[in-house]
Amino acid sequence: MMLWRQLVMEWRLYSRDRVAMFWTFAFPVVLLMGFGTIFRDGGGPKLSVVRVQALAPTPQDAALDKALTDLQVKVQSLPKAEAEARWARGETATQLEARTTEGGGTGYRLRLNSYLMAQAGATAGLVNQAWLMAQARLNGAPEPQRIPISVESPGGKRSANYAAFLLPGLLGLNLVSMGLFSVGMVNVSYREKGKFRRLAVTPLPKWIFLLGQVLHRLTVTVIQAAILLLVGRLLFGIQNQGSYLNLALLMVLGTGCFMAFGFALSGFAETSEGYAAISNLLFFPLMMLSGVYFTLDAAPVWLQHAVALMPLAPFIRALRAVFNDGAGLAGHGLGMTIVAAWGLAAFLLAVRRFRWA
Amino acid sequence: MSAPALRIRGLRKAFPKVIAVAGVDLEVARGEVFGLLGPNGAGKTTTLEIIEGLTTADAGEIEILGLTWERQGQEIRSRIGVQLQSTSLFNKITPREALDLYGSYYPKCRSTAELLALVQLEDKADAYHITLSGGQQQRLALALALVNDPELVFLDEPTTGLDPQARRSLWDVVRRMKGEGRTVVLTTHYMDEAEALCDRLAIMDHGQVIATGTPASLIADLALPSVVELTFDGAAPDSAAFAARLGQAVEGRVDLWEIPTPDPKALLPRLLEAADAAAIPFQQVHIRRATLEDVFLHRTGRSLRDL
Repeated sequence: MMLWRQLVMEWRLYSRDRVAMFWTFAFPVVLLMGFGTIFRDGGGPKLSVVRVQALAPTPQDAALDKALTDLQVKVQSLPKAEAEARWARGETATQLEARTTEGGGTGYRLRLNSYLMAQAGATAGLVNQAWLMAQARLNGAPEPQRIPISVESPGGKRSANYAAFLLPGLLGLNLVSMGLFSVGMVNVSYREKGKFRRLAVTPLPKWIFLLGQVLHRLTVTVIQAAILLLVGRLLFGIQNQGSYLNLALLMVLGTGCFMAFGFALSGFAETSEGYAAISNLLFFPLMMLSGVYFTLDAAPVWLQHAVALMPLAPFIRALRAVFNDGAGLAGHGLGMTIVAAWGLAAFLLAVRRFRWA
Repeated sequence: MSAPALRIRGLRKAFPKVIAVAGVDLEVARGEVFGLLGPNGAGKTTTLEIIEGLTTADAGEIEILGLTWERQGQEIRSRIGVQLQSTSLFNKITPREALDLYGSYYPKCRSTAELLALVQLEDKADAYHITLSGGQQQRLALALALVNDPELVFLDEPTTGLDPQARRSLWDVVRRMKGEGRTVVLTTHYMDEAEALCDRLAIMDHGQVIATGTPASLIADLALPSVVELTFDGAAPDSAAFAARLGQAVEGRVDLWEIPTPDPKALLPRLLEAADAAAIPFQQVHIRRATLEDVFLHRTGRSLRDL
């Protein structure tokens, strides 16, 4: 009864801060809609190459252009001066120019912009492929066979678009920000402003107050997740491929872990400002390194191993497996153990460090 | 009703850099308004927080309504009312909601309407806490301290930072508490507040009680119950040479001299003659009854106001 009152009051006061409440629910949706739309095709922007116009195009040039187009590389033909100006401005990722080879024949030179290597590297591979195709066609030789490519998510349930990749990451990230900012920050500011002290002189058991808070944050998280899932479904056609039970189990595990983080961390800061610094120090690396927005497969191996031992990465991996691929939890025992271990460690630390005044 | 409202023996509390409470003994009878008077840093608030169970003492015994924190903590909490030095509530809670909510924490609680009327907040019952004036917030804090119909109420500096009108209206609430038969223990560093409200006082300085008694008896004990003041237009000159000439202590203040005396009538002609002879450029002469301020000054050699 007391607990229910406490929960109702938390909600009532929370709902009065309209701006904060709106952004709590809207921010993940905005992220999903924004990034999901920008990278809708999943492959990022279409690859293009700047082709310096030859004074007198040869059949070889024509064959190369055709092969590039066949490989879906956009060819931009520019006069020499204009192409050089564009290159100098740094807007060109890949520039292709005919030149005389050492043997006296005509060949090509490919310049890659070192600042745009992700795009340039991928384009370079395709340009070389096109060159092989063009040579074969010119020589009347059989066209080289290419291995067919298909893009699929690991569970093979559906071809993953970026929004589907992003959504479970945002679900996980919400739990972290709820734990660190909502739970931890509120505790520090209550202590700082003496709200806990005012409660401490009443007979209200402290655990009821804290549990009321935790339940409130839990209900907020559930609503947040529901909105995110609904928007994902309506706008991007993303659906939960796994069992909702597994999803719920994971969310409970994550909520417990990251709330414990918030409680533990709040024991280390005297003031709200101090807490903001500490929590951001933790939040940003977690967010950037844990595969919320992009994968880390290009990062050094030691970093990948380190990140796999942090709590958010294995959590999001399990969430993605269930949500996008409909996998069970069996394959994620180690990851879930890591999350649970972090949660337990944070909980023990919270119990040790937590102060009312 | 046999046990006193509050009994404290040998209370001590040291913080890393300061000894806040250095052996305090107090006894407060039921139905009394009892004041802890002293400058900031005298240990009043720490003493109160130990009594309220917010801080643990290093040593000493506390009995509240015949109960002890070790054995009957929950019962003490439900029978005392507390107003902390700053009561922090949610910005967007209304007085009505706050009183309902805090009332729900207690086994027995008073009606919210009655409490709102007591502190004259009916008009503001549904306004957000953040929109209330300082005096209104403080009155709400008093109402919250009364929400469980407590036998013993603790008020920590209830009027600090309020304008004179808001202070008077708070004093009325405290007097009403006494009228309802409650015991009130309050801290203050205002002399006039202590004189106006308290049946008995303990004057605290450096963590110790340096005098206890009714305001009237504390002043009467001074043996110098009157003070003659010479006021100056601007800064008062150094008083040492004049004190030697007069053969009596002269306390120099910013713009006046104070001369405590048991007999102003005998002092006055001598004083005026000496002042004339020394060509002291004073403006006016006042004779006043000694106050608690003078008691503090006499006991500590320092003025409360200067601190």
